[in-house]
This record gives sequence, structure tokens and C-alpha cells, in this order.
Amino acid sequence: MKPEPNNHLQALSQAIVQGLVDEAGPLAEKAVAAGMKPLQVIEQACVPAIEEVGRLWEAGDYFLPELIAGAEAMKAAMTVLQEALKSSGQSLKSAGRVVIGTVEGDIHDIGKNLVASMLRASGFEVIDLGADVKVERFVETAEREKADIIALSALLTTTMLNQKRVVELLVSRGLKDKFKVMVGGAPVTEKFAREIGADGYGESAVQAVSVARSLLAGRGGNHD
Amino acid sequence: MFDIKRLTEKQVILLDGAMGTELFRAGLPPGHCPESWNEERPEEVAGIHRSYYEAGSLAVLTNSFGGNALKLAGYGLESRTFELNFKAAQLARSVCPEGRYVGGSIGPTGKFLKPVGDLTEDQLLEAFRPQVEGLAAGGVDFLLIETQYDLKEALLALRAAREACSLPVLVTMTFNLTRRGYYTIMGVSPETFIRTMEENTVEAFGANCTLSPADMIGLIIIMRSLSDGPLIAQANAGQPRVGPDGSTLYELGPDEYAGFIPELIEAGARVIGGCCGTSPEHIKKIAEKISAFFDKIN
Repeated sequence: MKPEPNNHLQALSQAIVQGLVDEAGPLAEKAVAAGMKPLQVIEQACVPAIEEVGRLWEAGDYFLPELIAGAEAMKAAMTVLQEALKSSGQSLKSAGRVVIGTVEGDIHDIGKNLVASMLRASGFEVIDLGADVKVERFVETAEREKADIIALSALLTTTMLNQKRVVELLVSRGLKDKFKVMVGGAPVTEKFAREIGADGYGESAVQAVSVARSLLAGRGGNHD
Repeated sequence: MFDIKRLTEKQVILLDGAMGTELFRAGLPPGHCPESWNEERPEEVAGIHRSYYEAGSLAVLTNSFGGNALKLAGYGLESRTFELNFKAAQLARSVCPEGRYVGGSIGPTGKFLKPVGDLTEDQLLEAFRPQVEGLAAGGVDFLLIETQYDLKEALLALRAAREACSLPVLVTMTFNLTRRGYYTIMGVSPETFIRTMEENTVEAFGANCTLSPADMIGLIIIMRSLSDGPLIAQANAGQPRVGPDGSTLYELGPDEYAGFIPELIEAGARVIGGCCGTSPEHIKKIAEKISAFFDKIN
């Protein structure tokens, strides 16, 4: 392989799209060793690659195993690149800070984990509270961590109403404008999200990333 | 004996509707393990089974959907797996009328095998084993491995079932309607699913959950083109929404849901039941449609 920068970028990008977790890190290292700027690698290889993974998922060509592998490969590359940034005295500006969890009464965490890993792969800082999270804990953590977004997952029709309770608690504490609330989960719909006063709804983990981005567009702290 | 071939020869087997929502309606607190009610509130669980039998279900499913050891571990109850399933079977058995049946419900663990998750095949097998043993010892007539999305997990549950007992085993997977057709979230197609089920001589197979009755009809038509076996169809009552009083409800009421049943039978479904959002009232209306359907053709 010729040591040309474009070859490195292409190889890394392909490794992420194909979900080659063990290859993505070393390929990122090679790109940096060849003299490329970490930020350039992120912007020209990693971001387009994870977007391609998302596109393939939405088109129905990729399924959960491929999506997870893509996100894991992205994470491996980003770990290397962030390290390289740090040693050059730079740091990657976070895309935003997200407090995420499955709402009270609901122990389902597959979808929530997926959203968390896609958000992380896309440059968000994610604070994952796990499953069966009390309404107050979302709000208190968001305040303490100075989060931008509260992301709420629910799998059950009986627990999706707890997403509404989080919004209500934010309103009653006068915090509704401080955080953006996004909701998702099998029974949740766009219409439901509107009805309970959430700011965003994502049908899939991939959409969740674009929703999170658009919710923070125009606000400070976004690296775009 | 639950003889699927005989039972589906000239009629349709009617299963029950949702259990979870009925438990919540009966007062199960959110966050409480549904299977623990088999011991704590047996009269409520038995009452739900009874109402489904009265509505016309030929078979009801035990309150053991989340009764595998991995899911029960989420409540610290993994060591009680056998007992909770045993009790689940006994409860349904205790209210089962003469000539009707009890099916043991086995749902997914919610965890993933490597490399997507961190589980080994042995861990999955061991999670299902005590569940199957409990259900069989408690007296179910058949097992329904349901709502599966990973074919490997479904096959491990099947293996646990076959190793523990000789009961008939039914399997349903949950499909989404994607831009490219029907697939489970793990990418299992109806073709792969049906082929695997036939290779493993599963007594009946089909789909449940997520899909509305209209989309379920589309899927059953595809499955029928692939197999002559008894197909199972358990659709959701459409999509959930927030009702005027702030509670959640599903968009399809009993009459609307039952309206799809003749077409579902014509598409090839031979084992029919409800899933999320369906109630004894739905089952009652479905039973009426089924008998009207067979009155007309016989």
C-alpha cells in the first residue's frame, strides 16, 4: 500500500463501514503516523464512515450486528485519534453532552444502549444512567453534569408515560428551556413526542444522532 | 395432547391476547417483576387467564414471558427461575377448562450473543433451561418460544426445550417492515426463519408483536408462499397513543382489530392470537370472526 494520505483515510473509512473493530484503531494510528492531522482524519474518514453506516441501516441493508460493529470500529478509531489530539495539546470539542437512560419501571436497555453508542461514536459525551431510572435522577444528573440533552428510552406502553413525567418535572422546576428532551423506544411515535412536549424524537439510533445534532444546532458547544 | 396438525386441520387455534397490560390494569406496579405475581398475586394472574378462556381462547400462554434466568436476574430473582415458571404453568392449568390448552411462554433474554453482546451460547442455554423445566413440570401442553429476533437465541431456547421435555414447541419471531421487506432487527428474513424452523421440525411457527394486523397479513402471505406448516400470527393492536385521560391506548379497538381476521385466515394463518394492546374483548371479537369464517366455508 502506498503511504499516501488518501489511502489511509479510505482504508480507515472502509474499516468502519465494514465494522472491522480490530483494524480501525491501527489504521487510525497509521494515518497519524503518516503525518495527517487527527482532526482531518476524524472529519474526512470517521464522520463520513459512520454516516454511511447510518445510511445503510436506514436503507435496510444493515441490521443490528452491522450497526453495532460499525459503532465499535468508530469508537476504536476515535480513541486513538483523541489520544493523538491530546498529545498535540488539542482536544476535540464535544458535539454535546447527553444524559441518557431507560425510564422508571422499564428494564429494557437494548435500544438505549444502541443510541448511546451511536451518539458516542458521533462525538457526543454520553452519561448513561442505565435502565429503570427515576424521573428526578434524570433531571438532577442533567443539572449537575450541565448536560445539553436528556434522552429518554421506553419500551413499554405503560412506562412511556414516564417520559412525559420527566418533561413535567422540568417544567415545574423551571428548567424546560435549559435542556432539550429527546425520546425514543418501540412504542414511542413522533406524535406522542409532540403530545408530551418533548423537543425531539428519533425512530432509530441513527436518527437519534441527527435529532441530537439538530437540537443543538445554533447553540454553543457544537463543533460543526 | 396438543396435536397441532389435528387442531389446525379444519379450524384455527385461537390463543390469548396481551398479558402485560392486563397485569398492569390489575395493579402490577411499574418496575415490579411480572413473573413474581405468580406467587404474590396468583388470583390476579389466574383471573386474567380465566377471562381469556371465557373470551374464547383455545389456549392461553403462561405468565412467564420474562421468566428466563437472565431476565429474572434483573430483579435478583434468577435463583427462583424454576419455581416462578412452575407456578406460572400451574396457575394457567388450574383454570383451564376441559378440552382447552396451556402454552408455556418463553420470551427473549434481552441480551445479545457475542460479538453484538457479551453472552456465550452456554450462558443463554442455561438461562432457558430452568425455565423450560419449570414450565414442563408445572403441566403446560406446549411451549411457545416467542418474540425472538435472533435466530441463534431462538434455536438455543429450542434446544433447551427439546433437551428437557418432549412437548410440542412453537416459535415466533418479531419482524419489522423495512424498506427492503420484512426482517427482524438482527436481519433474519422470513425465508431464513422458515427454512430453519422446517429443518428443526418445529411444530408451528410464525410472527408476533410490532406489526399491525394489516402488515401481519402481508408477512403471512409471504410465509405461506414458503411453507405449508401451521403459521402463527399475533399482531399488535396498531400503534400506541396517549388517550384523553393521559393513559396509553392502542389505536385498534376490538371490532377494528377483528375486522382483519378473515383476511388473516385467508392469508394462511392457522394459529391466531393478540399481542400488545389486545385484551379479552379483542379475543372475544376475534373468536366471533373465526366461527363466522368457518360457518361460511363449511
